[in-house]
Amino acid sequence: MIEVTKVWKRFAAPVLRDVTLTVPTGCLYGLIGPGAAGKSVLLKCLAGLLRPELGSVRVFGQAIEALDEVSLQAVRNRVGMLFQNNALFDHLTVAENIAFPLRRRGITDEAEIASRVADRLRAVSLPGFEQRLPGGLSGGQKKRVGVARATVTRAEVVLYDEPAAGLDPVTSQKIFDLLRREQQEAGATVVMVSSDIDRLLTVTDRVGMMLDGALIFDGTTAEAHGSLHPVVKQFVHGEVDGPL
Amino acid sequence: MSAEPHAMERPQGPAEAAARRVLADARELQGVFLRTLYWTAKGRREPGEVARQCFEVGYRSAFFLSVTMGFIGMILVFQSGLQLLRVVPDLTLLGATFLELLVRDLGPTIAAMMLATRVGAGIAAEIGSMVVTEQVDALRMCGVDPVDHLVVPRFIASVIMTAALVMFSGLVSFAAGGATAWFVFDVQPLTYINFSLLDRGDLITGLLKCVAYGAAIPIVSGWCGLTTRGGSEGVGSATTSAVVNSSLAVIMLDLVISGAGFVVFV
Repeated sequence: MIEVTKVWKRFAAPVLRDVTLTVPTGCLYGLIGPGAAGKSVLLKCLAGLLRPELGSVRVFGQAIEALDEVSLQAVRNRVGMLFQNNALFDHLTVAENIAFPLRRRGITDEAEIASRVADRLRAVSLPGFEQRLPGGLSGGQKKRVGVARATVTRAEVVLYDEPAAGLDPVTSQKIFDLLRREQQEAGATVVMVSSDIDRLLTVTDRVGMMLDGALIFDGTTAEAHGSLHPVVKQFVHGEVDGPL
Repeated sequence: MSAEPHAMERPQGPAEAAARRVLADARELQGVFLRTLYWTAKGRREPGEVARQCFEVGYRSAFFLSVTMGFIGMILVFQSGLQLLRVVPDLTLLGATFLELLVRDLGPTIAAMMLATRVGAGIAAEIGSMVVTEQVDALRMCGVDPVDHLVVPRFIASVIMTAALVMFSGLVSFAAGGATAWFVFDVQPLTYINFSLLDRGDLITGLLKCVAYGAAIPIVSGWCGLTTRGGSEGVGSATTSAVVNSSLAVIMLDLVISGAGFVVFV
């Protein structure tokens, strides 16, 4: 379970304002909102990549803002993350990229690493891409390699930042279906940030909406569809007229 | 009556923002320094990574450094000779004086300043571009401390290769100065090559400077790279900061080590 309690984070100005939310274990939670609403910052706070100035972020029951880097690493070992621009290591091949978290967690059995890499590549429909470099892949292929790397450690919590950004509608839907399938098979707790609302809401269990750093809605996907909050209603239904 | 805004909503004045930034920077630099030492002692190195960095820092800088130090040797001997001739028409100690100055101070410091521009800029640009493309965050999510993975191999390579480069380029500088002394002032090589003024204190001070500069350049440049903000503009700014701050670190260390050397050995 992930618990965020009264979290504040600021850079030059506040980017998270008194955010409180709970993501139950095994839930696929969608985080939506307009640009610069604080979604990616919140996701990085969940991963311990950013520390809030105020409030608490508890993952696996541990307040991660209070942990030092070494203790935080033990938490991160149970968390996978796909970054907005994939963050694949340019100098490593696809197979080396996917195997990287395994090796760094101390797995040295080359046969096991090769088997898990091949399994992940099959899952993301990229078998045979082992020796390719990230520079030679399309946007969709890079996303899928990113998904493979985020899930290769069988993490209990997986965070996805814009998994379908810049993809065509068909590839985008395929990615969302893949992520849902992966989540169901692994039973992982997933938090997913996406601007592709229509497709995101086809796979989520719960949805939170952020605006100007504040969480203005938190409920089930059905409740999001039926929300009467003017901002949520306009955003979820893609209406032009409204407060946004 | 409107509700009081939360303390976090209060806008920061320029002085407060600057003070917070300086404190945060100092904390980050201290963190990079301590983690570099920790991981150098504890970390696992990828096979060949330190050798690759030694090649980058050492071999690729050798020509640039030798040419620069060669010219500096020629200029210094020429100018020193001219000044000396005005005071005492005796240049027998020209080589000995230059050698002492080269070993104790000029060799390590000038070479390190040159390395700060070439190596420091490269480290900051490489790490900074990994930061803006989120590769550094990805490393952390893969269970890797970026300081261990990115800074420590460069740190080890820099400490080893700075010492080697200072010795090699110092030799080039001394030889170039010798050639100048011979052709311009007719100082014979056997007179020029004079170790009489060189003592244990000069050697220890020079060696300490090599190690300190070799350690400071990757730590300061790595810190500049790891604190990169924004996109390509941020990488450019981090690169500039790396060169400026590494050079500043070299000058400050020079003052501290020279002062300590003077107290201990003179």
